[in-house]
Amino acid sequence: MIQQTGLTANDNYFENFEVGAVYKHARGKTVTENEAVTICHLVMNSASGHFDDHLMATAHAAGKAHVDRALVYGGVTISITIGLAYQDTGEQVIRELGMDNIKLLGPVLHGSTLYAYTEVLAKDDTEPSAGRVTFRHYGVDQNDKLVFQGDRTALVRKRPQGA
Amino acid sequence: MSDRAEGQLAFVKKAVLWEKGNKIADFEEGKVFHHHWGRTLNEGDNSLFTTLTQMYNPVYFNEPYARSLGHEKIVVAPLLVFNTVVGLSVEDLSLGGPFVGIDKLVFHRPVYVGDTLTARSVVVAKRMSEKRPGSAVVTWKTEGFNQDDERVIEYMRSNLLTDSV
Repeated sequence: MIQQTGLTANDNYFENFEVGAVYKHARGKTVTENEAVTICHLVMNSASGHFDDHLMATAHAAGKAHVDRALVYGGVTISITIGLAYQDTGEQVIRELGMDNIKLLGPVLHGSTLYAYTEVLAKDDTEPSAGRVTFRHYGVDQNDKLVFQGDRTALVRKRPQGA
Repeated sequence: MSDRAEGQLAFVKKAVLWEKGNKIADFEEGKVFHHHWGRTLNEGDNSLFTTLTQMYNPVYFNEPYARSLGHEKIVVAPLLVFNTVVGLSVEDLSLGGPFVGIDKLVFHRPVYVGDTLTARSVVVAKRMSEKRPGSAVVTWKTEGFNQDDERVIEYMRSNLLTDSV
């Protein structure tokens, strides 16, 4: 098997994460209708409030909705926030193990911008070549409002010999 | 509205809404839902999701790299697995209102491009809201399976549901 080298960074192995460290990730992202509605339909989420602006405007006018247009599906908010954090906290992942305490704390609309922060909650040196790391990811919008928080545990590769 | 326009739209008055979803009363503790459709996750699905969400680990989009780690094919991004299983469950469970939370999610085994997912949920709890009469927080345990009936994911999900009248 051909060894795949030089394709990933050298600063995000198991050894690089210290419990208690907090990172701000480099890129933010404006969540557009393009990816929000595309992903919602791609995964066949059939809740109209994520893709029917008129329905939401009508519900809002009747006092039944907090916002007057389609809301971004929470799974998109979770995925985009973790995506913003993933080059740093997921590039050396051998296997995603699980998630917990996932909370969606505020509305995300088409045009909202998300920034991602990550805190290292725990480390467990489980194998010779890898260990478990638990991260707490935060998604913050353009008004500094926390819109998403969730914990994610993954098996992260240790620095290979000579790397 | 002109007579002509009204005439053209006569079917609107006649139409009966073909309703979707379940009411709060349908969620008795212990009730099991076998969700509709199933979904084969192909390479295009995974490439689109992985790139749109910037899920930058080559195991999800570089086949030789995935093989070098012992996989036979490209691994489907775990969050696409999660979102697909949620999506399959939405019509049965959560047309009535938003996410409250997801807990105790476990990715039991990798999903590969070409695998087919199905989903099943059981009602774990229902709590009528004190703050909002007519609303309830319902909690389900949802599990996703591959084509060999191996469990690939499980999680607890709670939503705040309100029956539409």
